[in-house]
Amino acid sequence: MSYLSLENVVKTFNKTEVVKKLSLDIQKGELVSFLGPSGCGKTTTLNMIAGFLEVDGGKIEVDGKPVHLLPPNKREMGMVFQNYALFPHMTVFDNVAYGLKLRKVPKSEISKRVFEALEMVRLAGYEKRYPKELSGGQQQRVSLARALVIKPKVLLLDEPLSNLDAKLRQEMREEIVDIQKQVGITTIFVTHDQEEALAISDRIAVMYEGRIEQVDDPASIYNHPKTDFVSQFIGEVNHIQGKVLETYENKKCKLHFFGNEQIVSVPSVKNSEVHFFIRPEKIQIALAGSNERNEAFQTRVERKMFLGAKTRYILKVHDRHLIADISNTVLNPTEIKEGNSVYTYWNPEDLLPSRMAR
Amino acid sequence: MQAGIGTEHDLLLQQKKKNVNKKRLDTWLLLLPTLGIFIFFFLLPLFFLFITSFKNFDASTGVGNEWTLQNYIKFMSDPFYLGVVWRTVKIALLTTLITIIISYPVAFQISRSKGRARNYLTLLVLSPLLISMVIRCYGWVILLSNNGVVNNTLLKLGWIDQPLTLLYTELSVVIGMVHVLFPYMVLSIMGSLEKIDPSVIRASQNLGAGSFRTFFSILLPLTLPGVFAGSVMVFSLSVSSFVTPAILGGPQVKVMSYLTYEQVAVMLNWPYGGAIGFLLILIATITIIAYSKILARSEKGVAIQ
Repeated sequence: MSYLSLENVVKTFNKTEVVKKLSLDIQKGELVSFLGPSGCGKTTTLNMIAGFLEVDGGKIEVDGKPVHLLPPNKREMGMVFQNYALFPHMTVFDNVAYGLKLRKVPKSEISKRVFEALEMVRLAGYEKRYPKELSGGQQQRVSLARALVIKPKVLLLDEPLSNLDAKLRQEMREEIVDIQKQVGITTIFVTHDQEEALAISDRIAVMYEGRIEQVDDPASIYNHPKTDFVSQFIGEVNHIQGKVLETYENKKCKLHFFGNEQIVSVPSVKNSEVHFFIRPEKIQIALAGSNERNEAFQTRVERKMFLGAKTRYILKVHDRHLIADISNTVLNPTEIKEGNSVYTYWNPEDLLPSRMAR
Repeated sequence: MQAGIGTEHDLLLQQKKKNVNKKRLDTWLLLLPTLGIFIFFFLLPLFFLFITSFKNFDASTGVGNEWTLQNYIKFMSDPFYLGVVWRTVKIALLTTLITIIISYPVAFQISRSKGRARNYLTLLVLSPLLISMVIRCYGWVILLSNNGVVNNTLLKLGWIDQPLTLLYTELSVVIGMVHVLFPYMVLSIMGSLEKIDPSVIRASQNLGAGSFRTFFSILLPLTLPGVFAGSVMVFSLSVSSFVTPAILGGPQVKVMSYLTYEQVAVMLNWPYGGAIGFLLILIATITIIAYSKILARSEKGVAIQ
């Protein structure tokens, strides 16, 4: 039984469907990210769950009860906003206590719970401050404490880290996951940052043009993308096209590309064109002559970029470019110079089949 | 080398100082025209008014040569004059209060609307300011007089037997003032409504507050600065207004500006008129100072809970 379920949810703005029959089941205590480019409908969906937008079709259920017709103040959901949305005229204490006062919680319990919540986000001692006296990260923590103190059924996070600088963002996201696991609250995390989504989610729902393209755990999303959009949006890919020379049993076929022949496992028809993606880190190179393999083909190093732990090589083959990221512990970047000819190869298992028809 | 750096540093400092001085001069230059008008046409006459108010009245020349406090004593010890002060302040306070109540919903609606609707609504709100004060007041005279539109309608409907006395009352003065002054309040409240981040309202709803609670706990406290700023404008404009009380109140509803006019233009008693005028300025100033004190506090964060 899922805890939060969306069933064929539709949202239309000015006759354009922004969210198209979206369905998703989220388990209790799960952290699910909505990941997608801007305009994909992820924030719209979140706002429908929170009740700020009405659904134009379908239903939303929490714990088996429909909530999509309730106003936002009756939905028992805690939301953390992108710009924190703290009440500027209230102290940190009053901000966090706001939801409890509305629930007519006795005074002594209010202060106890507020202090606990502030302790949890490591802001004990800041009760009397006003929001504008806090840094961005601190404001975000108050916002998180304010959302969690009312013990909501679902925690909704709307790009909570996008206004923070890189270092703080990483710290905060770890903190958010820690707190989320500690409280065990069902959470939806909206983001356009794939690294963020991959790092913290139990599952990721990749969204594009109002649809969910794929829902899966981070590793599956990265390693087994189901659609071209997911392959291209999550991580980087090289696009490779080839011609099928020979087909075998077990969905295997012999392909021809870049003047090279390779046997890969994809269902295909003889003489047809097939398309693949391959991630830059799955491409390997070796200096010409040193490690010749029969499936390797020759490329020329056009550019070399040192990126710290790894080095990025832009390889040219015929009129196409390939990007290869190679760990500096595997291959010493000083060994290879721009203009060098290198042998390039990969493991056929690492090719991601594409449905791209071009 | 070391010395070289030192002198270079000093040079830079000097340059900076020069720039700061130049900036200050620029600021003054920009202010100069307005400042000139302000000093010569406002502060200087005010100063002479102040001096005059301490002179005695001379029937032949108007302003006598002796110094006296008589003008102020006369005003302060006469229940009639004190009654006029009270009426003036009462009308101004009532006007302020009613404009707040009328303007808030209007400002709220305009700040929520977009595009063309917003432009038309704003124009509609500003429309009272586009018509001459005198014409607008006579419009109200037509509506409110004994055989005016309002009374005739009520008589025809049989709701009243005798025409109500609407014109030349404090009510008619307040109506006229609210009509002309509410645009100031609307614009001022709109300004502070637009500064509110919409997600703050959503946060309040999300935490369980209905619209009523959200309004009183979040929206109203956050717009208080705008309400106060509008109140200062409306109060000071209505406490000193002359045309509206003169036309809609007449001699029956005397206010301080009318008294001043009477003394200066009719009785030709300039010193006494000056004293009344000066007391009016004093009342307005005290109110504005009191308001700005509250305003400063409200900006720090007044929470109505």
